[in-house]
Amino acid sequence: MLTYGIVAIGLAASVAAFNRVLSQYLMLGLSIGVLALAVIGLWDFRSIHLWTPYFQMTPLRAWFLLVVGIVSTMAAWYRVGYQQHNQVFTGFWLPWFVLAMAAVILSQTVWVFMTAWEVMAATSFLLVVSHHEEPGVIKAGYIYLVMSQISAMAILAGLLLMAASLHSMNFALWAAKARFLPWETKSGVFALLTLGFAIKCGIIPFHVWLPRAHPVAPAPVSSLMSGAMIKLGVFGIVQFLLMDLGATALLWPIVLLVLGAVSSLLGVLYALMEHDLKRLLAYHSIENIGIIFLGLGVMGVGIDLHHPQIAVVGLVASLFHTLNHALFKSQLFLAAGAVEQHTGTLDAEHLGGLIRTIPGVALGFLLGSMAISALPPFNGFVSEWLTFRGLLSLATGFHGLWAASALGLALVLATTSALAGMCFVKASGVTFLGQPRQRVAQVPLGRSITAPILGLALISLALGVFPEPVVRVIGSIDPTTSYHAVSLLLPIKTTLIAVLLGIAVVALVLLARPSQARTVPRWACGGDATPAMQFSSSSMTKAIRTTFAVIYRPHRQLSRIGENSRDFPERLVYKGGTTPTWERYLYRPGYQMAWWLSKSTARIQAGPVRLYLTYLLVAVGMMLLVLH
Amino acid sequence: MLWGVQGISVVVVIMMAPLVLGITQVVKARLQGRRGPSLWWGYWVLAKTWGKETTVPEYSSWIFRVAPSISLAAMILVAGTIPWAGRVPNSWPHDLLTLFFLLALERFWVGLAGLDSAGTFGGLGSSRITTLGAGIEPALFAAFGILWAVSGRTAITPVVGHLSLLPWGMATVSYGLVILAELGRLPIDNVDTHLELTMMHEATVLEYDGRLLAENQAAVAIKYTALLGLGWVWLSPSLASPLLTAVLHIVEIMGTAALVGGIESRFSKLRYFQVPTYLAMASGLGLLAFYLVMTGGFN
Repeated sequence: MLTYGIVAIGLAASVAAFNRVLSQYLMLGLSIGVLALAVIGLWDFRSIHLWTPYFQMTPLRAWFLLVVGIVSTMAAWYRVGYQQHNQVFTGFWLPWFVLAMAAVILSQTVWVFMTAWEVMAATSFLLVVSHHEEPGVIKAGYIYLVMSQISAMAILAGLLLMAASLHSMNFALWAAKARFLPWETKSGVFALLTLGFAIKCGIIPFHVWLPRAHPVAPAPVSSLMSGAMIKLGVFGIVQFLLMDLGATALLWPIVLLVLGAVSSLLGVLYALMEHDLKRLLAYHSIENIGIIFLGLGVMGVGIDLHHPQIAVVGLVASLFHTLNHALFKSQLFLAAGAVEQHTGTLDAEHLGGLIRTIPGVALGFLLGSMAISALPPFNGFVSEWLTFRGLLSLATGFHGLWAASALGLALVLATTSALAGMCFVKASGVTFLGQPRQRVAQVPLGRSITAPILGLALISLALGVFPEPVVRVIGSIDPTTSYHAVSLLLPIKTTLIAVLLGIAVVALVLLARPSQARTVPRWACGGDATPAMQFSSSSMTKAIRTTFAVIYRPHRQLSRIGENSRDFPERLVYKGGTTPTWERYLYRPGYQMAWWLSKSTARIQAGPVRLYLTYLLVAVGMMLLVLH
Repeated sequence: MLWGVQGISVVVVIMMAPLVLGITQVVKARLQGRRGPSLWWGYWVLAKTWGKETTVPEYSSWIFRVAPSISLAAMILVAGTIPWAGRVPNSWPHDLLTLFFLLALERFWVGLAGLDSAGTFGGLGSSRITTLGAGIEPALFAAFGILWAVSGRTAITPVVGHLSLLPWGMATVSYGLVILAELGRLPIDNVDTHLELTMMHEATVLEYDGRLLAENQAAVAIKYTALLGLGWVWLSPSLASPLLTAVLHIVEIMGTAALVGGIESRFSKLRYFQVPTYLAMASGLGLLAFYLVMTGGFN
C-alpha cells in the first residue's frame, strides 16, 4: 500500500512541477514516504511486501533506503526556500531521480536493477545540467554522462557474467548460490563490478566527474548525489561482492583497501587546493568514499579469512560511515548552496565574515565541518574510530610485513583525518570568519533554508552521542554473523565523553565571561589593518603544497605589467595553480586514443555502397572458408 | 580504590600543570646561565592574566570567544582519559583514539580562532599548526605501534613486561619526538619567541587577553603535563599498588619536564620545511618497533 502511495506521489510531484509550491510539498511527501518505508524495513523487513519477484526488501536495502530517505527529505525541505533558475525542470526530474534510487536499492532481478540504474544515471545527468544555459555546465554534464555510462556497462557485464554462471537473473538465488562459484568466475565478477561501482562512487582514478558535476548542479541536487547516489556504489559492492560472493581470492579485498587508501589520501589532498566550496566538498566525497572502502576492504579480508569478528567490524564501520557521510555531506552541500544564494559566489577567496550575516548557515557548516573531521562528539568520530579499529584488527591479526602494511593503512587514515580537519578549518574559517575579503551581495535567506541544515547537524550530533542503537541495527544486517556488535563500541563511551565535554565547555565559558570583553582593533604591527592581510584559502595551504609538491606539481607565474615593467612595474599579477595529473596523464591520452580510433574506423566506412558490398563479400567468403 | 586514585590523580595532574611548566623554564634558564623565574612562575602568570581585562579584536565572532574554553575542556578530558595508576575501572573512558581525536578537537578550534581574529598572525599560526597536525596525527599513531601489537586493543595500558628492550627503546624515542612536536617545544616550535617568522601556537593566541588568554595558557600547561605523563603511563612499569604507581608517574612527569628543559637548551629550532622529515623519522621508528614485535623475534 505504502509503496503504491509513494510511486503515485512521486509521479504527481513530477507532473505538478509547474506549480512550485505543490510540487515541493509532494516531493517532501515522497521523501518522507521513502523514509517511512526504510524505517519499517529496518524494524521488520518481512512485513513489507513489494511487487514480487521484481522487488524485495532486505535489512541491507532498508539501511540504504534510509540513507536515501533522510537526504531526500532534507533536500526537499531545503528546496522550499531555495531560489534557482529552471525550477520547473529540476522539479520535474527530481522525483524520478529519488524513485529510481529507491528502485535500484529494492530491485530483485538484473533487468529491474539495470533499468533503474540507467534511469538514475539519466535523471541525475538531467539534474546536473539544470542550469544548462550557463557556460561549462553542459560539458561537465557530458563528462559525468560518459563516466556513468562506462560504469553502467561494466556493471551490466559483471551482473550478466554472474547470471550466466548461475543460470538465474534473480538476486534471491544469487544470495543462496553465488558463494559456491569457482574462484575464476568470482574474480571476473569482482573485477567488473568493482570497476563499475567504483566509477559511480568516484574512487580515484575514476573520480574526474565528481568535482565537475557537483559545482554546476543546484545545491539540493548536489546534496542528493553526494549524500545518496554515490552510496549506491557502496550498496552494490556490499550486496553483490561481499555478501553474495562470500570468500574470494584475498587479492580482491586488498584491491578494495588500496583503492580506499589512495582515494582517501589523494581526495583530501586535492580538496585542500580547492577554493570553490562545492568543488572542495566534492573532493571530500572522494575522500570519505575512500574511508568507506577501507571499511569494506576490512570486511572482505574478514570474510576471506573466515574471521567473523573482523568482518563485522568492517561492515559496521563502512555502513555507519555511509550514513554519517550522507548526513554531514548533504548538510555541507546545502550550506554551500545557501552561501551561494546569499553572496552569489562560491569562491572562498572572495568571502569572509559571513558568520555575521548568515549565523545559522555558518553554525550548520561549522558543525558539519566538525562531524566530517571526525571530532568528538559527532558521528564521524564514531565511524572513523570503527574503521581504525578494523584496520588495527587486521594489523594485529597478521604477521610481519602484512601487519606493517595494515598499520600503514591506518597511518594513511590518520593523515587523511588530520588533513580533513585542516581543510575544514580552512573552508569554514576563510568563508565564515574574519573580515569580508571583497564586497559581495548579501541576499537575505529564509528560515526554511537554515532549518534543514541545522536539522541534519542535530541528527549527526545525536548519532555521535548515542551510537549504540545504530551499531545494533547494522550488526543485525548480516545474518551470518553472530558476533555481538555493540561490544565493539564499549571502550569509547561517547555519551559520557560528550556529556563531560558539554559540561566543561559551558562551565568554562561562564567562567571566562567572554560577553563582557571589550572590542579593540587587531594587531597590524602598527600599520593600518586591511582585509587583504588575512590568510586566504591558498596561503593557508602553502606548506602542504610545498610538502606534497610531487603530487601537486605546483606552478606559478608572476607577470609585471606597465611601462618599464622590468624595474618599475605598475601592477604585479600572480597566477598559481596545481597540475591536474589524472586529466593530463590518463584521461587526455585516453580521449585522444578514442578519437584517433574512431577517425581510423571512419576511413573504412567512407560511404560508397560498392565498398560495403565488397566487405560483405569478403566476410561471407571468410565465413564459408572457416565453416568449411 | 581505583576510582579514588584515578580521580585524585587527574585533579593533581591538572593542578600541578603550571608547576611542570615552571620546572622546564627554571631548568632551561639555569642551563643557559640565567637565574630564571621561580618554580611557581606558571601560577603567577595565570593569576596575572586572569585578572586583566579581556579584549577581543574587531571582526571576531563567538568562535573566538568560545574557542579557549573548548580547548581547555578538551585538554581536561585528555588528562582524565589517561589511566594514571596504570589501570582504571572498565567504565572509565581510557581509549587512546579518543585521546587523539580530543587533541584534534583542540587543534581545530585553535585553528578556527586564529582565522577568526582577522589578522595576519592568527591565520599564519592556524596554517602552521594544522599543517603540523597532519604530520603529527599519523606519527602519534605509529609511535603507539607496539601498544597495538602487544594488546591488540585501543585502550591505554602499560606495555612493559611483554617486550624486549629494543622495540621498547625505539617506541620511547619515537613517542618523545612526536610529543615534542605536538607540545610545540623545540626543535619544532619555540614557546619563548614572539617573532612572526618562528612562532606557531603563540601566533594563534596573539590577539587573546585576560581570561580567554588564561584559559588558553591553562590548556597548554595541562596538555604539556598530560602528554609527558602519558609516555610514562604506557612505557614505564606499573607497581603493584595503584596509589604508588600514580605517585611515581607524577614524580616522573617532573623529571621529564626538567629533561625537556635540557633538550630545549641543547637543540635549536628546525627549519619549518624539515619538520615533515623529522615526523617521518618518528613514524618510521614507531612502525619499525611495531614490525619487530609482530615478527616475534624480539619478545
